[in-house]
Amino acid sequence: MLIFLARRTGYMVLTMLVVSILLFVLLEVNGEAVAVKVLGPYTTVEQRNLWLEANGYFRPVYVRYFEWLGNMLTGDFGESIRFRAPVADVLWPRLANTAILGGVTFAVMIPLALMMGILAGMKEGSKLDRSLSVTAIITTSIPEFASAVLLTFLFVFWLSWLPGTSGMTDGFRPVELILPVTVLVLYGFGYIARMTRASMVEVMQTPYIRTAILKGMPYRQVIMRHALRNALIAPFTVIMLQINWLLSGVIVVEFFFAYKGFGALLLEASLNQDIFLIQACAMVAVFVAVTTQTIADIGYTYLNPRIRFA
Amino acid sequence: MTRKSPDSRNLDQSERAQLAECHSQLPSLADALGQGKASRREFLRTATLLGLSAGIAYGMAGKLTGEGFVPRAKAQDGTPRRGGVLRVSMNVKEISDPATIDWSEKGNNLRLVIEPLVRISGDNLATPHLAESWSASDDLRTWTFNLRRDVKWSNGDDFTADDVIANFERWMDPAVGSSNYGRFAALRESSEDGSRMAEGAIRKIDDHTVEFNLRVPFLAFPESMGDYPALIAHRSFQGGNWANEPIGTGPFELTRFTVGERATYARREDGWWGGEVYLDGIDYIDHGDDPAAPFAALASGQVDLLYRLNVEQLPAARNMPNLEVYEAMTAQTGVARMKVDEAPFDDPRVRRAIQACVDHARLLEIANQGLGLPGEDHHVAQIHPEYADIGAPQQDYDLARELLAEAGYADGLDISIDCVAQPTWEPNTCEALVEMLRPAGINLSVNIMPGGTYWDRWMTTPFGFTSWAHRPLGTQSLSLAYRSGVPWNESSYSNPEFDALLDQAEATFDVDERREIMAQLQTILQGDAVIVQPFWRSIHTAGSPRVKGFIHHPAEEHHFETVWLED
Repeated sequence: MLIFLARRTGYMVLTMLVVSILLFVLLEVNGEAVAVKVLGPYTTVEQRNLWLEANGYFRPVYVRYFEWLGNMLTGDFGESIRFRAPVADVLWPRLANTAILGGVTFAVMIPLALMMGILAGMKEGSKLDRSLSVTAIITTSIPEFASAVLLTFLFVFWLSWLPGTSGMTDGFRPVELILPVTVLVLYGFGYIARMTRASMVEVMQTPYIRTAILKGMPYRQVIMRHALRNALIAPFTVIMLQINWLLSGVIVVEFFFAYKGFGALLLEASLNQDIFLIQACAMVAVFVAVTTQTIADIGYTYLNPRIRFA
Repeated sequence: MTRKSPDSRNLDQSERAQLAECHSQLPSLADALGQGKASRREFLRTATLLGLSAGIAYGMAGKLTGEGFVPRAKAQDGTPRRGGVLRVSMNVKEISDPATIDWSEKGNNLRLVIEPLVRISGDNLATPHLAESWSASDDLRTWTFNLRRDVKWSNGDDFTADDVIANFERWMDPAVGSSNYGRFAALRESSEDGSRMAEGAIRKIDDHTVEFNLRVPFLAFPESMGDYPALIAHRSFQGGNWANEPIGTGPFELTRFTVGERATYARREDGWWGGEVYLDGIDYIDHGDDPAAPFAALASGQVDLLYRLNVEQLPAARNMPNLEVYEAMTAQTGVARMKVDEAPFDDPRVRRAIQACVDHARLLEIANQGLGLPGEDHHVAQIHPEYADIGAPQQDYDLARELLAEAGYADGLDISIDCVAQPTWEPNTCEALVEMLRPAGINLSVNIMPGGTYWDRWMTTPFGFTSWAHRPLGTQSLSLAYRSGVPWNESSYSNPEFDALLDQAEATFDVDERREIMAQLQTILQGDAVIVQPFWRSIHTAGSPRVKGFIHHPAEEHHFETVWLED
């Protein structure tokens, strides 16, 4: 087990190192370009050179890389060009906001999707199965930007039931979360539900379930005790992958509802070419991605002991 | 518009004396207005620029033309009520140095706290603000500004000539990087890049009088002081982050500032020199770059006023019962400008061929729903006081094909234009241009990119679509964009004859004479086909009917001290 964990962690660190080198090469090797971004397009070559000198850009690339990496590790991401503040000051509150949005979305989406998937998968081909499956396909195939517009038109402009933006300007108001969470759930739940359904259908066809039913075990108990654990293995991975999707997939929703989260920040950073902010956002996103994958792998082996720790 | 028979004899002796006292040329301008030789707008603009108060100027213009007139700003929305916080949706951008700001949103964030010497009113006139009055010498080279005596900074200091001088000294330092460096080039030793402020260009007469000595005559001097980067900061500000210690003379105090999120203001406790301010505070909320978000916020009552309404949102806004839609005709525009020193645009025949394909009125219809006025490819707007009507260029495909063949592109020409993705009227204009150029055999492709990317290359791209802000005078934009070698000359256009005429226009007082020079300038620019200028836009915004006393300013400036909220 320990060897397995160490190996997974090793892979994690390696992945992040590779990404950090890529980020550094793409955004920082050309110091001149960084200087233009930081000082603005109207500065003279002389001003830029002074800045480059003062910030150590004339040292060898590898020295700069390791220093940069060291700063990253200690949480010093540099200063944001757009916000004129340390990147860390901007990044963490935004990440917390997205965690709130993502947490609420998950809390609604996962039980809903699992429930629908299990119900549909229990009796393949039943009316319930078909109606749930069709619903899931429809909601998943409507992109977020379309459903956001549709729901806003309905609940904000027409019925005037809900607030149109979710900037939380008057403090945290749960009512402002309703629309973004609904859009995300609508888009995301169908995938997990379909996955759960497929997995459930497969399990329900196995001989041991048939045996359990035939030996007269209550149906409820068959599902709860025998079918579920096996049926949840595949959806578990999908759910872990959804965390990644939430981190970057919320861009559209956050942008549309003016929610001050990580996705909107990533978009603003790229549109304004805020180099240090882009680097920090990318590193955070990669960190979350590899971490959730590692957790998924560990959880997977736990749920399915047939996979060896090797 | 009906006009009663004008008669300059309507002004009595004392009024004429008042005009003469203000500036020796003013009585003859009044005569010109009376005889119908000068327009009312021209009279108002010149008279106020030369220091006549706007109220008196309006009164005289009304008398001379026989038109009854109530300035828009005075139009009342009932009895003002004190109290309430106005919530406005607008991007909150960084404002660390008031001297180097480059977006009108930033100007709005600053203007509630720090103020200009001269303000451009909603009807495009220079009106006294921190400067109580001013006067110009006959040669328009010496300007004396009298500052208000009753103005106090929020830290308790008196507002004096030292504040004004400190700001001008910073602006004219090339190392600061302020756009005022170009705006007030007449104060420098030469127009060369890198030149310093001339000795004695700015002189303190006493604590409340400042004298400016210009290298060249410059009629638009007061108007330039009303541009948004010319807000006067406290004399102690010498760089760093202004928002950390915001000292101001204005009606409000900055209480919170977070880029990308929020800026809040509270009414100054110790009172404002300009009189009563109705609002308790202002709350700017940043809803990001999606224009749908502010609109949804307004519809659900999360804000009271928008900074801007996109032209596509206009029909929806007009259909909503509880919204007030505001409109302003402006000299805001976009130009498809060609780099005159880069192939294939270095050949004037190519540029003229492109110009000959364009139907300006049609572009206005397609890309801006017909809201505005068609452009004439010379960057002087019909609403500018010095505009000369030289006729619009006409669409003529035969001419275009002929010119292309002469230039060696008989088999067709492939070009591409760079433009920003937002606001959408800009890419829409470019897409419409694609269709217009095709019949002449020109294949245009459109390169749509994020704003940040475009603004990195707007000075260098061979063919680009650039939006230009509203400016009250035509000569201001000509001077910024088409004078040889100036920092914002994006087309690299260089024509000594044009430069000389522009100098002349800026120094000519006589209306008829100036219009003649303008006609020449406009003809040169139009004929050289440096730009295709599709249209002048009218701009819009929307707010709740609770908001009273708001005027949509053509430069999208917020002047909130006269605004109040109904119960």
